[in-house]
Amino acid sequence: MTELTQEIAVAERTKRRKLPEAWFAWMLVAPAIIFIAVIVAWPLAETIRLSFMEADLGGEEFVGAANYADLLDSRKFHETVVRTFYWMFLSVGLKLILGLIGATLLNAAIPGRALFRVLVMPPWVIPIAIGCIGWLWLYNGYFGLLSGLGQRLGILDGPFEFLAYKQSAFYSAIVTDVWVGTPMVTLFLLAAMQGVSRDLYEAAWVDGAGRWYRFRRITIPQIMPVLVSMALLSAIWTFNSFEIIWILTEGGPRGATTTLIVDTYKTAISNYKFGEGAARAVIIVILLALFSLIYLFFLNKVNRKYGVK
Amino acid sequence: MATLDLENICKSFGPAKVLHDIDLAIRDKEFVVFVGPSGCGKSTLLRIIAGLEEATDGRIVIEGRDVSREDPVDRGISMVFQSYALYPHLTVFENIAFPLRVQKMTQQDVNQRVNRAAEILQLTDKLTLKPGQLSGGQRQRVAIGRSIVREPKVFLFDEPLSNLDAALRGDMRVELSQLHRELNATMVYVTHDQVEAMTMADRIVVLNGGRVEQFGSPMELYHHPATKFVAGFIGQPNMNFVPGTVVEANGDGVAIDTVDGARLVLPVDRAGVSTGDAVEIGIRPEDVRLGDGLGLNIRVLERLGGVSIAHGALSDGTRFCASLDGNARIEEGVPVGLTVDPACAHVFKADGTVLRRQAAPALVA
Repeated sequence: MTELTQEIAVAERTKRRKLPEAWFAWMLVAPAIIFIAVIVAWPLAETIRLSFMEADLGGEEFVGAANYADLLDSRKFHETVVRTFYWMFLSVGLKLILGLIGATLLNAAIPGRALFRVLVMPPWVIPIAIGCIGWLWLYNGYFGLLSGLGQRLGILDGPFEFLAYKQSAFYSAIVTDVWVGTPMVTLFLLAAMQGVSRDLYEAAWVDGAGRWYRFRRITIPQIMPVLVSMALLSAIWTFNSFEIIWILTEGGPRGATTTLIVDTYKTAISNYKFGEGAARAVIIVILLALFSLIYLFFLNKVNRKYGVK
Repeated sequence: MATLDLENICKSFGPAKVLHDIDLAIRDKEFVVFVGPSGCGKSTLLRIIAGLEEATDGRIVIEGRDVSREDPVDRGISMVFQSYALYPHLTVFENIAFPLRVQKMTQQDVNQRVNRAAEILQLTDKLTLKPGQLSGGQRQRVAIGRSIVREPKVFLFDEPLSNLDAALRGDMRVELSQLHRELNATMVYVTHDQVEAMTMADRIVVLNGGRVEQFGSPMELYHHPATKFVAGFIGQPNMNFVPGTVVEANGDGVAIDTVDGARLVLPVDRAGVSTGDAVEIGIRPEDVRLGDGLGLNIRVLERLGGVSIAHGALSDGTRFCASLDGNARIEEGVPVGLTVDPACAHVFKADGTVLRRQAAPALVA
């Protein structure tokens, strides 16, 4: 009996020493919360604060919404927004189309398929800076392969600097961006295609469905959720794609390749206008958030339509 | 007249030969089941009939026409897959209508055929659902519906019930048998489950190692297995094999001493054996009763109500299983004597072939 009483006493003491369950739960998630706070929340809050300031190397002064008002009035900024969306839609569209074609070819039962799968990777695997320097040479008017080939084939009259003219610089940058971004889209779509049960194709074949019919009625619907997710991710990355443009053209010539992210960098870092740069950054966040919301709504619909297994 | 003839079908994957000279003549409106253990080539054979695999050698003749080189769709077959192969993004209606859409049939005809199939399969109220919202048995029916609407000459089934639970499998067996009667079509069905084979088939093809061991009606296979393999495969619980030595062979039968010490005189043809040959006596668990003869040490006793299954070993260690009366007074660990009905026993030579039984039970047609 005494032993039992003692045991109860010990148990009660231990119980009192224990933290409440909720505390324990908070402790478990605390590292993650601190991490997110430091990496995401604080910089974001700081950027929002800065966007209401006129800030340079000399100091800060509160100006209210003046930075935003300036941007909304600026025709140049409007052009940049339109150019950024055009850049994004064109580049993502090309990446998805090429990725789909690439994945379909890599998924086909052809000899040496494993080798081709490896050969797709380099644009994605090698550092972007190195790849872009390669493209700089390709686009060079005097030493570049493209200009040289164009002249040999009689398409060009003389040396052509691809990055020196507004239109050609913009589309050249798109080509490089697509070159970098396509392999990953290809591999994701390939993985999705490989997840489609072989039985579905065989059943369709037994029923007389040809290749194109099977692709249209089985492959595309089956990979649709991945295709849509890929489109969203790729859109965000392309929207924020900075290194490629910066290395190739630094946003030029005459702003022809300046997208929102390049504009923000030029304003905040090159011109030391931290407040105006922050206002641009906040607008990027808002635009991307809106875009993502619309997209997620669409994604949900697609998943409901195609995702029922 | 949807007959299906397989002539010398061979199939190799690289150096591995998986089918050896398969010759089968399947009659019109017959329900034939290919049965055998994993890797015996039964699914490969079905896929060759479907046109999903090409035979290395041999011919496939459907309704008198050689279809060996034709695409699946031109062979007049339809196939139900083990995984059902339903399109998850399409409704039940569109899944069933898929082959008709491929053929670009008019909407009116599509509606008519799909609705009729749905009626037969009791899916009418499920047509707007997606496969993900259906139970296993319903998905199975959708897969069957898809093959019905094509009105094929030959239906092919690749282990269609193996993904269902035991109770549902029993129900679906009955439904498939009824469907066969309703559609009055030739059906070829692959399974590894001998119960499915026995219950549904008009005739069974037992495959082993890529060869046909025996082709016959279920009761023919049960009472007259051609080989030890067939004897062991057909029947539940499996047949027992007791090693023995021939001590006398004459016109009345063969006398065999078992390793257990018992002597059995069995009415089988003596052709092919002589005194001193090592043989195996095949005894079905249901063909023994309590009495004198073999001594069985019961290790595990399964009381199923109607019957009691006693698993154990003979005195020499040979594993033996007996299916006895449900109320039999037996216990685990207590030895019992078993009497074997000589007329029901089988004798297998060392090469696995059987000695023909003189007194076999009348065949059920």
